[in-house]
Amino acid sequence: MPTERSVVRLLAISAAALAVVAPFVGSPYAAQHASIDVTELARVVAREEDHVTAVELAQWIKERRPDLRVIDVRDPDAFATYHIPTAARLSLDSLVETPFRPSDTIVLYSDGGAHAAQGWTFLRALGYRRVFFLRGGLNEWLEMVISPTLPEHPSESQRAEVENVAALSRYFAGTPKFSVTARLEHAVPTTVRDSASTSAAIIARMRKRGC
Amino acid sequence: MSAPLFDAGLFGDRGALVVALAIGGAFGWCLERAGMGSARKLAAQFYLTDLTVFKVMFSAIVTAMLGAFWLGRLGVLDLGRVYVPETYVVPQLMGGVVFGIGFALGGLCPGTSCVAAVTGRGDGFMLVAGMFSGVLVTGLWFRDLQPFYESSARGPFTLPQALHLPYGVVVLMIVAVALAGFQCATWLERRAHRA
Repeated sequence: MPTERSVVRLLAISAAALAVVAPFVGSPYAAQHASIDVTELARVVAREEDHVTAVELAQWIKERRPDLRVIDVRDPDAFATYHIPTAARLSLDSLVETPFRPSDTIVLYSDGGAHAAQGWTFLRALGYRRVFFLRGGLNEWLEMVISPTLPEHPSESQRAEVENVAALSRYFAGTPKFSVTARLEHAVPTTVRDSASTSAAIIARMRKRGC
Repeated sequence: MSAPLFDAGLFGDRGALVVALAIGGAFGWCLERAGMGSARKLAAQFYLTDLTVFKVMFSAIVTAMLGAFWLGRLGVLDLGRVYVPETYVVPQLMGGVVFGIGFALGGLCPGTSCVAAVTGRGDGFMLVAGMFSGVLVTGLWFRDLQPFYESSARGPFTLPQALHLPYGVVVLMIVAVALAGFQCATWLERRAHRA
């Protein structure tokens, strides 16, 4: 009949043996083998249901949309310098190992749009349905939400939208500018795509204001 | 078929509730058998005279960790489908402090207070009542608390990700800390009993 002491010792030795071998057997995560329904993805892209605009994302965050997960796939330094409020940082390789809930609405962003779009493809291949990426990336966020240039005299039909964007901008500590020549942009402005100098300048301006 | 069995479709929502009830009951029974329903036994941990709580909880962590690691490695458990709760650094630190103060003052933690209540202990009932009152008040004030609740979000990240170390190395480190901790705990208990 084994004594309590010998049972404890046996359990401790077993735990130690399993732990000593653990570093040499590799990752416990199964390799992710996913398949892509290319036709379905092409349809989603054609219907422009693969991305959100910065203003839409700002609205979702402000409304505290349930189960919204904003994921920043940039490097830690870039994330530390500035990130979209409520965002969590995950590298692309961590992204595919992170279990999301089926009900989560996942929005990915990078500086431009390329890395986030790659992440979108990975997550769609893994079976997540409610995945989007910010097409113009953080640059679009900075240009369209933090420092938007809005028409000073909008048409009657555009007035509510202009006021909404201005209110969203102020909500996120931004500074909307009004210009006579400005138009209400719905698409990603070509001037901001991959424009690191623009984003750096906007972040520097925000820092000066203490944000 | 690999675990989690719920994700694999082995049982539906109702079946999952039955399984959760059975596992919860078994967990409570084990806590009670380990003496965790007694506030005196739990409070003795803070005087370093009886470190049963430390041993039971750390044993549970090590058992679950080794089980998850090796079952994942052997392909029985798909770790990628196991839900990892999100980390919110400041709110969770604050929660830990409140939890610790409550634990030291009441002598019971949420799980053990349920065990104490089920075995008919008055202090267990009071703590369960306090816990649900706190849940109710938090729910009523949640709109005001939400900005703090969601602050310093770090997403779902695990110790291997935080330490930038392979999973197996972290497993080894934690087991080493646990075994050393158990030795220290036994030494402290012996010293207390001699005094």
